[in-house]
Amino acid sequence: MRNGKLMVAPTVLWLSFFFVVPLLIVVAVSFASRTPYGQVIFDWTLGNYARFTETLYLSIFADTLIVALITTVLTILLGYPLAYFIAQLPQKWQQPGLILVMIPFWINFLIRSYAWVIILRTQGVLNTILLKFGLIDQPLQMLYNEVAVMLGMVYALLPFMVLPIYVSIEQLDHRLLEAASDLGASPFTAFRKITLPLTMPGIAAGTILVFISSLGMFVVPDVMGGAKSALIGNLIQNQFLSARDWPFGSALSIVLAVLSLVLIVLYYKALSSQQGGGKNAKDMA
Amino acid sequence: MKKLLSLLIALVAFAIVGCGGGDKKSDGKGEPQVLNLFSWADNIDPAVIERFEKENNCKVNYDVFANNEELLAKIQAGGAQYDVIQPSDYMVATMLKLGMLEELNLANIPNAKNIVSNLQAPAYDPTGKHSVVYTWGMTGIVYNKKYIKEAPTSWNDLWKDEYKGRIILLNDNREVIGMALKKNGHSNNSLNPQEVEAAVKDLKQLAPNVLAFDTDTIKQKFIAEEAWIGTMWTGDASYTYKDNKDIGFVIPKEGATIWADTFAIPKGAPHKELAEKFINFMYDPKVSAQNYEYIGYNDPNEKAAEFHSEEFKNDPMLKIGRENIDKGEWLTDIGEALTMYDRYWTELKTGK
Amino acid sequence: MPKTWRSHVLCAYAMAILAFLYLPLLILALYSFNESRINAVWSGFTFDWYLALFKNRRVLEALTNSLIVAFASTIVSTVLGTTAAIALNKYQYKYKSVINGLLYLPILIPEIVMGLSLLVLFSQAHIPLGKTSLILAHITFCVSFVVITVNARLEGMRPELEQAAMDLYATPFQTFRYVTLPLAMPGIVAGALMAFTLSIDDFIISFFVAGPNSTTLPLYIYAMVKRGISPEINALSTLLMLATIILVIIAQLLQPQHISKKEE
Repeated sequence: MRNGKLMVAPTVLWLSFFFVVPLLIVVAVSFASRTPYGQVIFDWTLGNYARFTETLYLSIFADTLIVALITTVLTILLGYPLAYFIAQLPQKWQQPGLILVMIPFWINFLIRSYAWVIILRTQGVLNTILLKFGLIDQPLQMLYNEVAVMLGMVYALLPFMVLPIYVSIEQLDHRLLEAASDLGASPFTAFRKITLPLTMPGIAAGTILVFISSLGMFVVPDVMGGAKSALIGNLIQNQFLSARDWPFGSALSIVLAVLSLVLIVLYYKALSSQQGGGKNAKDMA
Repeated sequence: MKKLLSLLIALVAFAIVGCGGGDKKSDGKGEPQVLNLFSWADNIDPAVIERFEKENNCKVNYDVFANNEELLAKIQAGGAQYDVIQPSDYMVATMLKLGMLEELNLANIPNAKNIVSNLQAPAYDPTGKHSVVYTWGMTGIVYNKKYIKEAPTSWNDLWKDEYKGRIILLNDNREVIGMALKKNGHSNNSLNPQEVEAAVKDLKQLAPNVLAFDTDTIKQKFIAEEAWIGTMWTGDASYTYKDNKDIGFVIPKEGATIWADTFAIPKGAPHKELAEKFINFMYDPKVSAQNYEYIGYNDPNEKAAEFHSEEFKNDPMLKIGRENIDKGEWLTDIGEALTMYDRYWTELKTGK
Repeated sequence: MPKTWRSHVLCAYAMAILAFLYLPLLILALYSFNESRINAVWSGFTFDWYLALFKNRRVLEALTNSLIVAFASTIVSTVLGTTAAIALNKYQYKYKSVINGLLYLPILIPEIVMGLSLLVLFSQAHIPLGKTSLILAHITFCVSFVVITVNARLEGMRPELEQAAMDLYATPFQTFRYVTLPLAMPGIVAGALMAFTLSIDDFIISFFVAGPNSTTLPLYIYAMVKRGISPEINALSTLLMLATIILVIIAQLLQPQHISKKEE
């Protein structure tokens, strides 16, 4: 048994060296200051963290959280049915189906985003079609606004929702659903009482992956949003590059990481208090 | 699916073995010298590089970065040892202050004298000993004659209300704030907080009219006529004009930012001599004529003029740059004030 | 499951989402035949970019580098992530929450911070920058994604099956090999797909940890942005997309024999 327990060791050792050590450097830098030309001086200050509490930066954090939240909800709404569809395909079509969903994401993200620009811009594909069919008389300005940013986010992050949800729907015991319908439950009730609770681990994993990834996005706001809004990802990127302020950038990153960690813990707590329902369904079988 | 997996694994194994062989070749005997070049993609005609490789029995590793800031961050964090880098003007100034550039041995680069005199020893590298200008241009106003009948003459014209939602500005804090400073008759390197604040106040008025901030794909946006007017570099204007003949370009009367990309050698470069040989080669009149025809940016090489095609010499956008070179002011490194600029920039973006 | 209107709606919905995913790729493929070098407006039909692509040594090198890094880091991170997820699900650890935190943290750190800090680490530890450093970095950011995906599978798995195997005197290894692993397989495949997807398209971290001669495709593409991304990249993407789809179809055609053999 003790050997089995050690299975976690290689991963822990790997991350300790390649992740924790660099992370400690980042933590140290977040308490440092910098010279006008961007060199880091270790003088142990809390100034970078204090700066974060200015309303300008707090409001960027708040905006980012809202965008991340909406993105997550949208990817669940789009991703769950897709994952469900793949999971109920005959066994031999499931993995090809999954790969078919993933292929677009192996093509460079930047050029896929530019393709969206070609579709959505004022003289773009979509406007041309709409004009031709007389549905509009004036080209619509569909790009460089919040809706476009949201579209780009959902487009970029959908696979991170579909994969984990598929994984947990695939193992759903269909006898449970049959039993439920035998007992007179409507399909909707069966879904709500059995399918949804039992696939919660997948939704939870997907939510975390999508939510966290959307917090750090910076290409989408630039390409689809016309770089007019600043999300936390852009702000951090700027500190390391154009502002040459590594300490402030590090502090922002640490705050972002801690905040995300707290949200994840709260989220799992909320889930586990709810999951009683799921366990019951399982016991029923 | 197992078959697919084994197929893929076989492919990888093949690729690894194949490329392992490739690596060994360069380590073998008769080892050719290596030159590690760090630049933008497609910034040099590949045929020119091949010729250099042949003439000097060496291999050029051409690695790429996407902007100056990434170049700086990578080298500061201890990034790989490059022999030749291509920072822009203000980045040369910063790297100089940080002691990151080798002094060039100009005796090894006699062709550097072919560069036009007003680009020798520019403000960002006053001694002219740490960098040589590779290409240069100016920031001006680009507009589409279909929508804008009267050619703009001043930066103020961007503020006209009828252009609401049709303006694109460069996505760069120094360029945009510098532009507003120029409009108000100040230096684009102003360190005076009142001047900068006034410029930002004007920009906050302009911001709601801006369709997008963009540096990289601004060409596409003007070719596809998503926007009517905006700020653009001469080189990009020349590109845009090739695909859309309605494009006009002016350097406003208040003056504008002039910029350059350069060749420089970072401290500790392992092959400094070869690097200097390479730089010298690039300013050979014939080589540079071929190279600039390929990249389509301004050729600073005076001696190359006779080898250039008529088409290149008469490029209207590049010409506008050359004729207005005296209205240009270099961006210098503003040091401490960068924090102020960055904060204002964040405010502009968030509309707060 | 009876074929009802509900399954038709589901099917239509799934097709609509697939269309949403593939729409930009169609545009991208279309523009690989566009004459203009700057991908802005349609100016005429040409095959030139495909011809240019095969002569472009740099793009092909970048593609090879990307594939090597992606496959190597997918394999290692899938093994590391899967073993960690299984162990954490099966055994009790004294410092479980610490280990969990360690496994989750890498996805919480912004990419640029991870890239820069890894570069500092590599240069301090004298690990030369190149394909090796790229693979090390990619494994590091992929592991957590694999752990989370595999974990989503294990959490829904019923422990009774493993228990039954143990009751039948299977050794722990046999239980692992013949019960746990097959049951976890869809999660592992999904985790591997995720790792591959992350690695093949990573830009920021790769930029910092790449060295001479290890430019990957995303690095090359981002660096082209200043001069305009060449339609050669569209041509390349179109070919890659087609190749992958063909590969999937071939694998699918080979599959039935495989299964029937098993059934015999």
